[in-house]
Amino acid sequence: MRIHFDWRLARVIDSDGNVIDELVWSGKRSVGALADRLAKLQSGRLSPEARVLAERFSEAEPNHLGAMSDPDWPEPDGDEQALLAEATDRLARRGVADAAGDLDRRLDMLSSAASELRASWTTSEARCVEWAGLFLSEADLDAQRRDIPAAVAEADSIDGAAAALGISAPDHQPSPSEWDALRSHATGVVELTGRLDAAEVATRELARGYVPSLSLLLGPLGAAKLVVLARGRERLARMPSGSLQVLGASGAMAAHRRGAPPPKHSPVLFSLPQVSKSPRWVRGKIARFIAGKCSIAVRVDHFAGEPWDEERIAEINRKVDAIKARFPKPPKRG
Amino acid sequence: MARPVKLGWGVRREGRSGIWTRNAVRGVSVRGERRKQDSRIEWRAWDPNRSKVAAALLRTNNDPSDLLPEPGSTCLYLGASYGGTVSFVHDLACGSGNHLKGQIIAVEIAPRAMRELAALASQRPGLVPVLGDARLPHTVSPYIRGKADWIHQDLSMADQAETFVKMAGAFLKPGGTGLLSLKAASERSSDGDDDTRFAKAERILGESELEVVERIELAHHHQEQHVVFHVRQTAESG
Repeated sequence: MRIHFDWRLARVIDSDGNVIDELVWSGKRSVGALADRLAKLQSGRLSPEARVLAERFSEAEPNHLGAMSDPDWPEPDGDEQALLAEATDRLARRGVADAAGDLDRRLDMLSSAASELRASWTTSEARCVEWAGLFLSEADLDAQRRDIPAAVAEADSIDGAAAALGISAPDHQPSPSEWDALRSHATGVVELTGRLDAAEVATRELARGYVPSLSLLLGPLGAAKLVVLARGRERLARMPSGSLQVLGASGAMAAHRRGAPPPKHSPVLFSLPQVSKSPRWVRGKIARFIAGKCSIAVRVDHFAGEPWDEERIAEINRKVDAIKARFPKPPKRG
Repeated sequence: MARPVKLGWGVRREGRSGIWTRNAVRGVSVRGERRKQDSRIEWRAWDPNRSKVAAALLRTNNDPSDLLPEPGSTCLYLGASYGGTVSFVHDLACGSGNHLKGQIIAVEIAPRAMRELAALASQRPGLVPVLGDARLPHTVSPYIRGKADWIHQDLSMADQAETFVKMAGAFLKPGGTGLLSLKAASERSSDGDDDTRFAKAERILGESELEVVERIELAHHHQEQHVVFHVRQTAESG
């Protein structure tokens, strides 16, 4: 015996094709109710009618593909077809709206915005400092670096900017239009600093809540980058640690497939001082060790384990130091 | 100008690479394609460089009309994306206001693409947008009325041939037409080079109940290595 069903009705059918029992959806048929029903069916569950029949006939096998090829299955009438079309549309739009509830997508937007802002800030800030520094020859471009964009943005002439920085007025003046361009560029840098800060603060906050252990180990921005590169926390949690180790080093991995040596670490792991500040002959070993710890951390976060604490991180750093101590000299080339 | 060659209801070829379908929504282009008026019918250009189905129509050695759904048929489109190709299939299977009484179940997993697809569906009755995983039969089964006459699968993920065999086995009518668009870059790199991957897919199709009618190479039209497999369902019932 089999149970055939769709959203409208369910039937128990014996091996000769006779209908033994039938239940029709008798509740109020609204677009919203049907959309809920379709969502359940789509996730592989039985309709309420099919479930009742499955309890009534325990030996009957529910088959979600049965109704489709059942020659005796009743055709939907016009009202039913119209209701189905409307509910399908509702469900599709609901799914689109629900994408905003997905923290992976939110973290993707935040983290990508932060990295893009960081990239353009680096370029613009360096240009602004070099440009203003060309005129302000007495300014200290290292110690006063942070103050230069704001000083230029808030001044009404290059002399005013010099005064704000506490240095003497320059010998050469920019032309009025050149000064306008320099000042609006500096204004942009000041504004960009604020935007970058806002994006990074929000990314850190989201990452600390979403992947707390990984954030503690890598820093929240690095943790967010890994989750985004893996296209989701679950995918990162299910990823082998060897893949995590080179996540983001896609160019190097492509070269490896064509015969180049494998990458030792991704840019994300290299940004950790434990890796980048270590001698190059232990970087691969440390990256491999830390990638293993990252794998455990993100699994703890994803599968609701107990989040790591500072003590655990300190222990990992001690082990990193032990690896470094074990290989004090570069290997001999044979 | 060359005389148009009729490829089926509402679709014709002009010259070497122009394919046009009868626009089901007069005055509207789905992704900025050209339209033109010929007596009382508006035709919409189907760009073979952007649609693998259109490219397959040009590259096939058999009758191109064998690749297309009949008017009024039930179609299953797995991996509908933003709905560009889907709209042309809709022109053929449903027509204006779905006067042909067809149905197209268009499955797509990305909410971003579904946004456009849902908007397209509200203009085109008969087009059913489904947000879900196209590899699972129960994503499709609540929506489809009867088995499909025509299936096209265009997913960019590994194991496309296995998925196609499973989905066509569940949903394709005996004698129904299936098209599998295969992108070599989507398969695992451990499966070898492009040709090895296509050969593996062909073997998987050959071992199933699907009959491989033709393997259509889409060189020239698409940047990456693409082939379209044209198959026919031989199983009596599933």
